[in-house]
Amino acid sequence: MKSAIIERFGSGVLTLLLIWGASILPVQAQMNQVKPISIGTDAPMTDVDLETTDGEMTTLQASAMEKGLVVMFTCNTCPYVKAWEDRFNEVSQMAKEQGIGFIALNPNTKYRDKGDSMDDMKKRAQDYNYQFTYALDKNNQLADAYGATRTPEIFLFNSDMKLVYHGAIDDNYKSKADVQKTYLKDALMALGNGNDIMPKTTKSLGCSIKRVR
Amino acid sequence: MRRKIIPLMLMLAAGLMVWQCSPKEDPAEVQTGGEPETLLEPITASQIDSVVKQYRGEKAVLVNLWATWCGPCVEEFPHIVELQEKYEDQLKVIFISGDFTDPYVEVPKFLKEYKVDWTTYLKTGNDQEFIPAVDPTWSGALPFTKIYDKQGNVVARWENSADFETFHKHVKNAINGG
Repeated sequence: MKSAIIERFGSGVLTLLLIWGASILPVQAQMNQVKPISIGTDAPMTDVDLETTDGEMTTLQASAMEKGLVVMFTCNTCPYVKAWEDRFNEVSQMAKEQGIGFIALNPNTKYRDKGDSMDDMKKRAQDYNYQFTYALDKNNQLADAYGATRTPEIFLFNSDMKLVYHGAIDDNYKSKADVQKTYLKDALMALGNGNDIMPKTTKSLGCSIKRVR
Repeated sequence: MRRKIIPLMLMLAAGLMVWQCSPKEDPAEVQTGGEPETLLEPITASQIDSVVKQYRGEKAVLVNLWATWCGPCVEEFPHIVELQEKYEDQLKVIFISGDFTDPYVEVPKFLKEYKVDWTTYLKTGNDQEFIPAVDPTWSGALPFTKIYDKQGNVVARWENSADFETFHKHVKNAINGG
């Protein structure tokens, strides 16, 4: 059929038809869209060296415990982080009690001179008495590999380092007292007890990661 | 005589209390010649669709999710305001703020600084419902922009900030039919 049309009208007509067809369809521009890894995906870049606020080096693999690992993308310069920060130690403690490691990563490469330098991170960890590892994601390479878009953003992996939960800490950044759904705590409990995690993904507002590309 | 004076004094005192308690000046309103226009109104997930749809058939629509403290949002904000002024009759910009610390003070103050004199909105309610109602592909990171043509077709959407040329290109495309 196609060859018959080409034979009769020439390929130029087909090309024109294709151009016309494309022009009448609404074309959607979708720029800068970072895609997060899907549930069930292996944790990427688990052996990359990460500098921590304790002045040591670690990796995600070294931070994981027998039942898994929480990776939290965070920073010093985001009001959403600050709003949720009164729950950071609590969830990290709970993770450890369930046999799940906890590491926070700062991916804001573009803001290293605007409040997200290693010195700023050390001060933040001290001021807020962080009870978990806080490390610098150099050149936002882990944020890119995970498809993280905002701070704070949680990726929870099981003992096989497969993603089992992605999203928010809970459903109320404004007030810890008014939280109705404790997404991360529920996921940690479920993972610790060997139960299915529901929901597996949640969304929340956050500050865009200040990447260099 | 005394019986008449006491109730009168009570009424005066009550009136004074009401006057004292009422806001001196609503920071979220601006006088535009006729009725005062509210600069900032709460918007929930279920209201987004109807707010966007009210311009269907008349104008292209640019929805921008932002916050006063968000660096990339503040960088691109003047570009969007400039385009609203340039294409006043063909484009409607709908700003939705994600501010949550004193929003009814901070946001109108910012809007006035940038000479935004039309109604804008404040994100209200649960993130889990709100984010997909704005756009199912949006992760929740600020800023976020979505542009509709006059027929209500989405012609562009993106997370993070953009320069004037990018906004202009997509706005022109939306005005010209997508």
